[in-house]
Amino acid sequence: MFLEVHNIIKSFNNEHVVRDLNFTLDAHKTLSILGKSGCGKTTMLKIIAGLVKPDSGSISLKSKNITSARPEQRNIVYLYQEDLLFPHLNAFENIAFGLRLKKTRDPQIKEKVNHMIDSLELNGQASKMPTQLSGGQRQRVSFGRAIITNPSLLLLDEPFGSLDAGTRQRMQSLFKKLTKEFDITSLFVTHDLKEAVLMGDEIGFMRAGRLQVYKEKQDFINDPETGVQEEIEYWKGLSSPNPSQGGKL
Amino acid sequence: MLLILFPFIFMVLLSLSSSWRFPEVFPGYFGFKNWVTLLGSEAGLLQSFIISIVISLSVGIVSTFSGFLISRAVFYHKKKRILTLFAYFPYVLAPVVFGACLSFFFLKMGLFGNVTGVIVAQFLIAFPYALIFFGSFWNKKIKSYEDLVATLGGTSQQTFFKVLFPLAKSMLLICFFQTFLISWFEYGLTSIIGVGKVQTLTIKVFLFIKEANYYYGALSCCLLIFPPVVLLYFNKRYVFKNLI
Repeated sequence: MFLEVHNIIKSFNNEHVVRDLNFTLDAHKTLSILGKSGCGKTTMLKIIAGLVKPDSGSISLKSKNITSARPEQRNIVYLYQEDLLFPHLNAFENIAFGLRLKKTRDPQIKEKVNHMIDSLELNGQASKMPTQLSGGQRQRVSFGRAIITNPSLLLLDEPFGSLDAGTRQRMQSLFKKLTKEFDITSLFVTHDLKEAVLMGDEIGFMRAGRLQVYKEKQDFINDPETGVQEEIEYWKGLSSPNPSQGGKL
Repeated sequence: MLLILFPFIFMVLLSLSSSWRFPEVFPGYFGFKNWVTLLGSEAGLLQSFIISIVISLSVGIVSTFSGFLISRAVFYHKKKRILTLFAYFPYVLAPVVFGACLSFFFLKMGLFGNVTGVIVAQFLIAFPYALIFFGSFWNKKIKSYEDLVATLGGTSQQTFFKVLFPLAKSMLLICFFQTFLISWFEYGLTSIIGVGKVQTLTIKVFLFIKEANYYYGALSCCLLIFPPVVLLYFNKRYVFKNLI
């Protein structure tokens, strides 16, 4: 397996935030993780990224144990809900940032960044500063900055949470396109049910620090705990012509 | 406007005058005699100016950078509130009392009456200021930037040079100017630790005023306000412009 997470436990002040975390993920797949706020999703991602130390358990990436490796040695990029563009750098330099850290040569940087700008549909925006970009454009630059370094694993923590519905939809399509183009393996955390189903090859549901992964989407949909059935009933009710027959309007 | 500028204009005029006694309307002499005499002579004003510049630059640079780095460590420390509270300690005491408290240790370490001792003493005042000043820079967002750089493969050195210093550039400059000025105008600690052997420009101004030598006092005041005016200009031109 590409990513293997075994028995990860994490507590803060005697409160179990992550309990017995066990899952695996194949290369070039996306695992959507759905869960309410405070259920431990962010802590789980930070543990995998190496930003938070687990109390116990192990993480392997490409069959190599990385549990005690420092974040900069893991080749795992963690993307926040906020785009976190560097305000002192323009869009081009923000995307090039990871390459500059790795001391890549200038002509190579130019070529890679220009290709990335093209893939991100950001043509003509390269010289703009972050404050001159829209929310969607900023998020795309943030993606580009993460993907260009060719990370083994991409961790996305509610990346579209702050975007409006239209931009969010466009970003979802773009992300799907990018995952194919750049063979990305990712964990995609969201609290949006539809987004979880749309974005993931597999879906996980996290509750009170425990993660259950559904290898098939149908299993996820059929499980009453996930709330999918409730959602389906709600929408059915809305479309029903007679409110007395379950219609909510 | 005239009222604000008048003291400064009068100070320059006074520095160019001598033998100006009441009720004479104009001074007996008006020219650069005082400047030529003082800058090149026994009064050692030029030497004081250079010593002051060296002391203030050292205090400004060291306290700004150490304040920046240590404020980060304080922010991530479990007991950051207590540590921040300690930083206010030097300001609870008057500088003269603080200097008297420190004098024993300075004597033991051989730092009494020399430039190094004055730099260390002034650092003890300027550093807590820098520490408190940078306390507002560190927050969750900055932590997120640091984490992001780490996951992108950056070392902590790269984080400082490529992200933290550029992000804090304006604050670093303001803090440097402030700590420079704290040191530049410092009198109480300098007079105690320097024991008259380290004569900064501020000490010289007080000496001339004590001697009732207003012409020399005005001249040294002109020199005293020269670096702050230059700093103010740079602040306005390069720092505040970027903040807005």
